[in-house]
Amino acid sequence: MEKEKEKDTSETVKANEIADFILDTGAFLMASGAHSGRVWRNCKRIAGRYGYHLNINPTFTGILVSVWDKNDDSNAVTRYKTSPQNLVHLEVLTLISHLSWRIADGITSFADARVELEGIKKQKHYPFWFVAFMVGVSCACLCVLAGGNVVDAGITFLAAMVGSLVKYYITRKNFNQFLAVIVASCATTMIAGADTILGIGKLPEITLATSVLYLIPGVPLINSVIDLLEGYFSASIARSLYAASVLLCIAVGMTLSITLLGISKF
Amino acid sequence: METFLLEIALDFALAFLVAACWGVLFGTPVKALYMAGLLGGLGHSVRFVLLELGLGLVGSTLAASVFIGLIGIYAAHKVHNPPVVITMPACITMIPGLYAYRSMLAAIKLSDQSILDKDPNIIPTIAHNAVLTFSLLLTLAVGISISALLFRNKSVRDIRLGKDIFKSKEENI
Repeated sequence: MEKEKEKDTSETVKANEIADFILDTGAFLMASGAHSGRVWRNCKRIAGRYGYHLNINPTFTGILVSVWDKNDDSNAVTRYKTSPQNLVHLEVLTLISHLSWRIADGITSFADARVELEGIKKQKHYPFWFVAFMVGVSCACLCVLAGGNVVDAGITFLAAMVGSLVKYYITRKNFNQFLAVIVASCATTMIAGADTILGIGKLPEITLATSVLYLIPGVPLINSVIDLLEGYFSASIARSLYAASVLLCIAVGMTLSITLLGISKF
Repeated sequence: METFLLEIALDFALAFLVAACWGVLFGTPVKALYMAGLLGGLGHSVRFVLLELGLGLVGSTLAASVFIGLIGIYAAHKVHNPPVVITMPACITMIPGLYAYRSMLAAIKLSDQSILDKDPNIIPTIAHNAVLTFSLLLTLAVGISISALLFRNKSVRDIRLGKDIFKSKEENI
């Protein structure tokens, strides 16, 4: 009974405006690491508030949206938008989810929501040096979890941190992201390989295996399986292809430096 | 027994750090980082205990990730975030990096005829590790999507609302 809030239904928005807003939201959500089911739920919530039916076809590389008025069939639009470059940022999921609920409850008006979405798009990620440090710590902890000793963990920390910085600088220069992964994984393996070459650690194999883990595209990989389970096949295929390419690039980078260091030593 | 408890505590602490750090990499909001860490630590210790009990790698990882997925629904309410934001970094603590690495290294060696002649076991090594990698990844995904699978087409907020409606009915009586 407390659910029966006063809903202000007087606000009317044109079909093309709502379609644009939903395209913006959906494409950005998908690039930030939301699975298709989440994109669908958030967008449907927004469209329902203004009295529109909605259908979407999310395909990771882009999103196709169709909206039509519940009372007036001629007031309908279908539009497509390509997603921005994939950059995992889970805070965006939180912010857009909150925004969509506020729209659905009639707290935020359409004009305000648009301004807020622009603000969310400019949301800052953590500073790169902080991310690099944390990446180092997490890979070192994984190394210890897998059975490495302190020396292994130290080398893993250094290798992962340097690799993360290398990746940041290459990506910032607008190089192809797959190239960035290859170079980063090569740099990381070069440093981690020191453990094997010098023979100072307990389990050099663990050092090599855990120091490149920060490059693993965990979010697209897991999202592809979730999409598969929920029936969004095109999105699932696109995501798994992307994740597989990144994994392949990691392997290429590692192969490169392992070959340079001498395969027989590994 | 005491050393076992100590090992669990160490496992928890390390997994806590891993999950919180992956949260930073994935851009989880600052306020939710500790929850991601707690979930990751709990899940990883569950897996550790199950492994010690001899449940097998895939089975215990599945149990741990489902555990994370279910606790994550409750934890998400606490920090006012969608569950994915915290369960994703938490499940990443169990990512099968070592097995992926082993299958890849064996595949690199496969391209060299002399190494293959010396050690024909390389092909089973690749197959075994690749299968392990994929099944572990699948179990992680099942764990994260468990809420979507069990409460299909329901938002997490509705799950809570359902409880609220139930409560108010009781009070009315």
